[in-house]
Amino acid sequence: METAYLFGIGLLQAILLLLVAPLVSGVSRVIRAKFQSRRGPGFLQDYRDLWKLLVRREVIPPEAGYIFRVTPYLLIAAMLLIAMVIPAIIDRSPLEPAGDIITVIYVFALARFFLSLSGIDSGSIFAGIGASRETTIATLNEPVMLLALFVVALLAGSTNLGTIATTLYTQQISAHTAVAAAMLAFAFATFVEMGKLPFDLAEAETEIQGGPLTEYSGRALALMKWALYLKQSVAVALFIAIFVPFGRATSMSPVSLILGEFILVAKLLLVFFILAFFENTFARFRIFDTSHVTFAAAGAAALAFAFSLGGV
Amino acid sequence: MLDFLATSILFCLLGGLGSLLLRRWEAIAIAVAGIGAAGAGILGIFAAIPVLMSGHGEVFSTSGPFPFAAFTVRFDPLAALMVLIISLVTAAAGVYSLSYVKDYAKRGVGAMGFFLNLFVASMMLAVVVDNAFYFTLFWELMTITSYFLVIFDQDQEAVDAGFLYFFIAHAFSMLIMVAFLLLFTHTGSLDFASFREADLPPWLASVVFVLAFFGFAAKAGVMPLHVWLPHAHPAAPSHASALMSGVMIKLGVYGIIRVGVDFLGAGAGAAWWGWMVVAFGAVSAVLGILYALAERDIKRMLAYSSVENIGIILMGTGLAIVGAAGGQPVLAALGLGAAFYHLLNHALFKGLLFLGAGALLHSTHTRDMAEMGGLGRRMPWTALCFLVGALSISAIPPLNGFVSEWLTYQTFFAAGTSSQFAGRLLGPLAAVALAITGALALMCFVRAWGMVFAAAARSEPAADAREVPWPMLVPMGALALLCAFFGVGAPLAANVLSGVSAAVLRADSLQISSGWLVFPGNPGQAVLSTPLVALLLIGLLIMPLSIALLRRRRYVAPRIADEAWVCGYQHTPQMSVSVAGFVEPPRVIFRNLYLLRAGEGPVKRAIETSVRDVTIAAKRVEPIWDQITSRLSVQGIEGLGRHVQALEGGDLRLYCVYILATLAALLIALAM
Repeated sequence: METAYLFGIGLLQAILLLLVAPLVSGVSRVIRAKFQSRRGPGFLQDYRDLWKLLVRREVIPPEAGYIFRVTPYLLIAAMLLIAMVIPAIIDRSPLEPAGDIITVIYVFALARFFLSLSGIDSGSIFAGIGASRETTIATLNEPVMLLALFVVALLAGSTNLGTIATTLYTQQISAHTAVAAAMLAFAFATFVEMGKLPFDLAEAETEIQGGPLTEYSGRALALMKWALYLKQSVAVALFIAIFVPFGRATSMSPVSLILGEFILVAKLLLVFFILAFFENTFARFRIFDTSHVTFAAAGAAALAFAFSLGGV
Repeated sequence: MLDFLATSILFCLLGGLGSLLLRRWEAIAIAVAGIGAAGAGILGIFAAIPVLMSGHGEVFSTSGPFPFAAFTVRFDPLAALMVLIISLVTAAAGVYSLSYVKDYAKRGVGAMGFFLNLFVASMMLAVVVDNAFYFTLFWELMTITSYFLVIFDQDQEAVDAGFLYFFIAHAFSMLIMVAFLLLFTHTGSLDFASFREADLPPWLASVVFVLAFFGFAAKAGVMPLHVWLPHAHPAAPSHASALMSGVMIKLGVYGIIRVGVDFLGAGAGAAWWGWMVVAFGAVSAVLGILYALAERDIKRMLAYSSVENIGIILMGTGLAIVGAAGGQPVLAALGLGAAFYHLLNHALFKGLLFLGAGALLHSTHTRDMAEMGGLGRRMPWTALCFLVGALSISAIPPLNGFVSEWLTYQTFFAAGTSSQFAGRLLGPLAAVALAITGALALMCFVRAWGMVFAAAARSEPAADAREVPWPMLVPMGALALLCAFFGVGAPLAANVLSGVSAAVLRADSLQISSGWLVFPGNPGQAVLSTPLVALLLIGLLIMPLSIALLRRRRYVAPRIADEAWVCGYQHTPQMSVSVAGFVEPPRVIFRNLYLLRAGEGPVKRAIETSVRDVTIAAKRVEPIWDQITSRLSVQGIEGLGRHVQALEGGDLRLYCVYILATLAALLIALAM
């Protein structure tokens, strides 16, 4: 019975993140506007955009095959799967058998596989370049993400997300410096994964016409944009679930669950607000400079690993 | 089950001999060879599965024709796993060859069938014999038959590739023979059973292990002994490449495990052996996939990717050796279990990918990915099977590659939480190496599938390509289904493979799956349920589908544009991302690692120069020997003949004197 309840909570979590994702990206847009001395489109603009796109007619390039058509649906399904297993609202992972850090990283890889493949499938040169950049950034970023998560997993004794989060929360780990360094490294890796400036090379609007999104339009574009908003929210929710675990529900009573939801949304908004400062003060990194920056992040993760070995 | 195995080998031999004898009637030869191989494969599967499920093997022994070596066959779980892998890929290759080999008409298809079947038979025999002499015999037979398959095309590229392969294989099999010889001198017998019981001093055990490791590693394609692989595998016919890349290199890993864990290990080994294996594995994995990224030839890319996957298997094996040496049975069992699972998975998906490459070669007559494109429309079933193969090899959940890589990660984690500092330091670093490898493999196979099957055709042959006939589609489909089965059905298969590792380690079986879950021995460390992931991925599609149906009343069907958007210019087919351009960023970022590949050229040239010098010297020495032996005797006889000739005067009176002299001599002799 408890597993059924947890499954329901996971589903609730996934739907919540799906519905809230355009809101937090709308907040980003408004803050960017304020930075640029504009009024901005309003917090709910992304919802209005998606609503309108759903009825626009799609235009599909002639060479596109079934991968191009299937990708938007697969992306949302994959991101919802990750959203279901993160211990975001409740302190356990709602779906333990799929809630492993390695499983989560590789479900992100599943999404990336189909996003890149659809970029090549569209036959557009811009989408192809975007696909190439998407996979290159993954090559640079995935090891950092894995090492940072591995460090906290080793300290917690398990690769299960719920166990890691609970162990960190109840402060059973004494290696504080290692956890802090791992948090910094993972925060950086999440920022790169989200694809926000200065790491939005894959979907660089001004450079390559939107990268893998170039040839999408209408309903499929609405789904793709929603998938990418959801990916950003899920990445931040993963970070929050592990490193900022305060205020989650400890029992399955409806009151604590609703409170947990509100606190999750508040944390998401706070993190996106902070991220907006980074987003709007940098210019986009060129692809070959990104590697220097990610190597520095890898160094931070290696430092965290060294600290954890020493038990500091 | 040995009778099934014997029948299977008999099928191979009959298929091979029949193909050779009937080579004049090519259609019949192809059919005989293909059915022989397919039958052998199916029988091998039936032979292996009971041993794997029950965990008990059979031993069979006769004295054989040689007094110093008994013909012993030991069909234990490890041998059964290898026979299963060989059989699965052979069955696929056999059915595939029924249609693929027709492309080689009038070029000796009878011989190809003969060598292929003999190749399979020698591999099956090599993994089940329990005697060093017969093992070496079948090992060499395997190398020779595969050599003939590599040089089959008989163009310069194939001959060079075959020569390099032959040279390296023989040079390093000598190391294996030396290792066996050392064991023989210590135990006095060539039987593997006596090797198992041998109590070697640590220095001798280390020497034997290092020799055997390098000897088998050359066959497995570990860096830096891999130089033959990217040349030999593309040169062979595609079904032979599938067998070589999917199965033969696994025999190298089998040898390392036999010698390192079965004979020497399980307590007597040293931890540094294991770390050496992990180091070689990590380097092979990262550099292998990095070099695969730089290839335009689809089969060379797949060959380098095999190097990468062997690296992953060796990382698990190395940690198992570390665990066995350090008294950590869980680490040892987990490491071997992960290694065996990846062994099986790689055979399946690499076999599938090579058969797919063969299908592409059949349809477009090229191996260059830059000349293909848009084949997803023309060859939809091949595209689907290749997609499953690409997803599996990139370790995408919930397919089989993901499960074995997950288990490998858990092995690294177990090493990272162990009490020994070496494990705590090197385990997570190996995990980082595997993460880099995984990300690069994803890029490599996204490019491969995208450039070949997606977008538009880039050449005339690609635009006219047709789907391959059913004998080529059925094996690919079967292998794809097996990939899905071993992924989603991981809870069913994991315990069987754990049983194999328990048999090799001679320890208790570590339970790594129960119900719907797979876990690394201890469920508190991690759990995974691939059926659940698969169901969720499919089930969660409801949400985007319901979003898509939200405003369906105003929905209009999509319009197919005339061309992709290129800022208003006229779109030409060249305006799509190219095969080389796609991988430009990592090639630049990792350019220092690519410099190491420049070392392959000098190694090849060094081998070629040294052999050429030896051949020239031999050619010079031969006339000297000629002079000493044959010329001396010839000149002597000629001189003697000339002297004898002087006796002949040509004068009849001289001959009468000879006759009288002879008569007088005989009368005097009679009188005495």
